[in-house]
Order: sequence, then structure tokens, then C-alpha cells
Amino acid sequence: MSETQATNQQAVIERVPGHSAMQLKDVAVSFNGRVAVRDATFDVAKNRVTSLIGPSGSGKTTLLRALNRLHDLTPGAKVSGQILLEGTDIYRGDVTVTELRTRVGMVFQRPNPFPTMSIYDNVVSGLRFNGIKKKALLDEAAETSLRSAALWDSVETRLKVAASNLSGGEQQRLCIARALAMDPEVLLMDEPTSALDPIATLKIEELMTTLKERVTIVIVTHNMQQAARISDDCAFLLMGEDRAGELIEFDTTEKIFNNPNDPRTLDYTLGRFG
Amino acid sequence: MIEESISDLEIHGQVVEEFGSSTTSRTWYHYLLLAACVLFAAVSVGFVGSIFQKSLPTWLHHPATIITGSGWQSPTGPFGGLAMIVGTLETSLIALVIAVLIGLGTSISIVFFLPRRLRNIVATLVELLAAVPSIVYGLWGFLVLAPWMYKSVDPWLNSWPFAHTLFGDPSQQYGPSLLLAAIVLGIMILPTFVAISREVIAVVPQDLIEASLSLGATRWQVIRKVVLPTSRIGLFGAAFLALARATGETVAVALIAGGVAKVQFHLLDPGTSIASWIATEFGEAQGNEISALMALGVLLMLLSFSLSLVSRWLVSRQRKVMAQV
Repeated sequence: MSETQATNQQAVIERVPGHSAMQLKDVAVSFNGRVAVRDATFDVAKNRVTSLIGPSGSGKTTLLRALNRLHDLTPGAKVSGQILLEGTDIYRGDVTVTELRTRVGMVFQRPNPFPTMSIYDNVVSGLRFNGIKKKALLDEAAETSLRSAALWDSVETRLKVAASNLSGGEQQRLCIARALAMDPEVLLMDEPTSALDPIATLKIEELMTTLKERVTIVIVTHNMQQAARISDDCAFLLMGEDRAGELIEFDTTEKIFNNPNDPRTLDYTLGRFG
Repeated sequence: MIEESISDLEIHGQVVEEFGSSTTSRTWYHYLLLAACVLFAAVSVGFVGSIFQKSLPTWLHHPATIITGSGWQSPTGPFGGLAMIVGTLETSLIALVIAVLIGLGTSISIVFFLPRRLRNIVATLVELLAAVPSIVYGLWGFLVLAPWMYKSVDPWLNSWPFAHTLFGDPSQQYGPSLLLAAIVLGIMILPTFVAISREVIAVVPQDLIEASLSLGATRWQVIRKVVLPTSRIGLFGAAFLALARATGETVAVALIAGGVAKVQFHLLDPGTSIASWIATEFGEAQGNEISALMALGVLLMLLSFSLSLVSRWLVSRQRKVMAQV
């Protein structure tokens, strides 16, 4: 068996059911009847990083926010199609949205630690929302997740300090730790480095490659180099004629960047537009 | 594109220059504006100064009586202000509790729970209520609320255990009371509190709310653990401004508090407040009594000034906090 065959086969295996953390089937999101993104069908493979790329207005973030039902808040928002988490449709009536969100965590564009809470309180805030009060449990979760976010060593002695004292990059890693404390299966990241300097960005990218061993990552990024560097699979979206975003191509990142099926994907990854 | 922006700059340059040159060669309208400014300062100083001056005899001869003395003997004196001071604090603070409880619920609903169309209706309603003259509230309190409370609510309150200590002796009551005044005051300052607290709550960044939801928080938890703590300084500011309004309110309290100059801790007994006492007494006051009323006026002014200052300081601190988030 040649080497390319082996990798191809691996890619296929990664995407058979049971190896997917999430499956999207013909997902579309619309606001007051206006379609923002559609035709999204792909599997998010377990313990891999899946990136969503595409120019502004292609619906990347809109699609990402459908994965933990953040659109539930927006009046007039409608998600159609199917989104399965470990085989269960997350929009089914009997799925509680708060529990879903503990299983599918999220990190946002702007580092957004809770300004009135200390570093420690930020990390354990999710656990507290979910009724965990035991100090020993909280302490342990705080340390584990801060370690996972590569932040423990620099904040160990000042856990009670306000989170606003941290630098931007540290704040974003705090937000990652805060999400990890819930021990989610999937971590959604919406352009997590767009507000950070290159060094802080690099640290977060390194973090993602180690984190994927314990959590499946879906990341939206404007930065194609970033998608190429850190993601294993890649979904390319584009704004259609009617200004609705649609999925153009989904494949391994290697294929998308080196030998995509659709010429538009090639044009985009080569920087010819967007 | 580049050419355009350069010409923009040039226009800006001209405008700036025009302003600059006109400050060196002063024209008549500059003096007119300056005169308006000076006049304003003179009026303010004259106003505050003359009130102080008129109250001076009281501060010189009976400084303790006006603050700690009880009992107001017209026209000879002594003129004790304690009943009015205590009455003002009691009515305003109870009013504040009422306004904050109802107002916070209203603001949170407006921002988070009402559908957009209804939200605008409620917000407009709140602003309209703020514009209703206080005499109308007073009249309503006197003609509608007072009889209803006297008939239906007061007997029930008086049936509570220990009602006597809290509300007083029912046989002495005839309708007007500190509690009634406090309730009407609470309704009057409610729009003020809602208008400010609504804005303070609405500027809590959406991504903080989404971050907490993403951690599995319920909407109620988001409000309690994130929105309210993040906006708490501004909410205190709103409360202080509402309190300042309540302490200065005159007509409504004069109509429904009872107008009795007695230090009153029984809430259903009649009492008075600084502002309403001044309003009802000054007509027949002479000599020392005028000075005593002016001294009460000074106290009220200082109270309102400091509450407003604290309120402004809190709201500006909240703005700074929000700018950092």
C-alpha cells in the first residue's frame, strides 16, 4: 500500500459514523426568512481540528453558532437540516440546550472573561452554573483546565486576581480554560486569534494541536495560513449569487489546499479573491 | 481615493483655522456668549449665597435644634428639623426599595424578555410616566390610593403580628401616612430608575452573555451572575439619582404624608418631609421661622447635591468599566 493510499484511507476511516463527533446534514440557517448559510453537509471528525474558511459573508460564524444553538437567542432565526452530536439531533425537542452547551463549548473572537470575576472564578464559572459547589472539585478542575490551556504556571500564584489584569493572549487562554473546565466533547472557536498579536496567536495555535487529543475542535478563521497550519479537515464556504453562504467543498485540509475539486476553492486558497 | 482624502484634510484644516483665528479677534457675539456665561455663574452664586445668608441666623443661634430638635413651634420656636429629616429619609428610602424592586424587574424584562415591538412600547411608556407633573401623582395618591389603602390595605397591615411597633396605633390613623407618601414617591421615581438602569443593563456586552450561555448557564443565571454584577455600579448610580429625586419631591408628599411635624417611626402614622414642610409652612412664616425654613432648604440642597454627585460619579465609573470590557 502506497503512502498516499494509506492517508486517503485514514481520512475515510476518520469520517465513518461513530468516528464523528458531529455530523451536519443539509444544514441551513436563516434570519426572518433570509437564508444566511445553506447546504452544509459534512462530518466533524473526532479528535481532529476542523476549520471553516471563506470570505466575509460566507456564513462561517453563522454555521458555527448553529452547532451549540446560540441562534436560539435571536428572534427570527431558524436552523433547518440536521446537526447530530454523537448521533443525536441537537435540535430535537428533548435535548436540553444548557446540557448541550456543556458538551459543545465555545471560545469567542474577542477574549471575554467575566470582568467582575477573578481568574479562578472565571475558570469554574461554568461548573458553578451547573450546580457544582464542592471546593475540592472546583479547585481540581481549575488547575487541570488552566494547565491544559498552558496558563497554570503564570497564574498559579494570583488566582484571586481580577481576570482583566491578564494580557489579551492570556485572557483568551483563560477563556479556553473556562470552556475546557466543562470537559466538553467539542470546542467551537470563532476566530479565536483575530484580536491577538502574532506571538499570542502562535501560543493558541500550539495549544490547539495538543488539545485535540482530548477535545474535537471546530474553528472559524479568516487566516488561511492558520487553517493550513492547524486544521486536519477543512470546509470552504462562499457567498452565493443570492448573498447566502453555502458550502463549496469539504475535505482534508491537505486536499483543500493542494488539490481541491472545485476551482473556486483553489482560487480562494491561492489568494485570488476574498 | 487618495486625492479625496487629502482635500478632506484641507477642508478640515480650514475649519480649524477659522476657529483659531476667531478666538484671537473677538467679535460681538463672543462677548454676548461670555456675558451669558457670567450671568449664569452670578445667578447660581447669588441663588445659593442668598439662601445661605437667609438661613444664617438659624445656623448661628440654633445649629443643633434645626438638625436634632423635634417639635416645631410656630411662630416663636424652637424650630426642630429632626422630624422632617427623618421623614425625608424614611419616605425616600422606602420609595427607593419599591422603585428598585419593580424597576429592576422592568428593566431586565425590557432588555431581555420582551419582544422588540412591546419593548419600545414599554420604554416609551416609562418615559411618558417620567414626564407626568408631580401634582398629578399627588392628586392620584390623595384621591385614589389613600382611600383605597385606608379601607383595604391598612387594616390588613395592622393585623400583622407586631403591627403596632411597625405601623403605629390604628386609632390615630386617618389615611395620610409616611407609607402612603413613600409608595407614591416610589411610583414617581420608578421611571427615573428604569430609564437609567435599562441603559446600564443594555450595554453589557453581548459576548459576555453568549460566553455564559455557552457554559451551560440558564438565562436566569446569565442575568444574576453576569449581567447584574457587570452593571452593578451603574445600577447603584441609577438608584442614587432616583433617591435624589425622591428627597426633593414636594407637592405629592405635602398632599399625602399628613403634614405632622413629629419624629415618626410608625409607617402608617402621618409625618412630613423637608420639602413638603417648607412648602406648607413658608406662607405664614415670619422672622426666625423663615430662617429655620431656609436652613432646612440648605440641608435639602446639600442632600440633593451629594446624591446627584455620587450618582454621576457611579455612572461615569460604570462607563469606564464598560470601556475596558
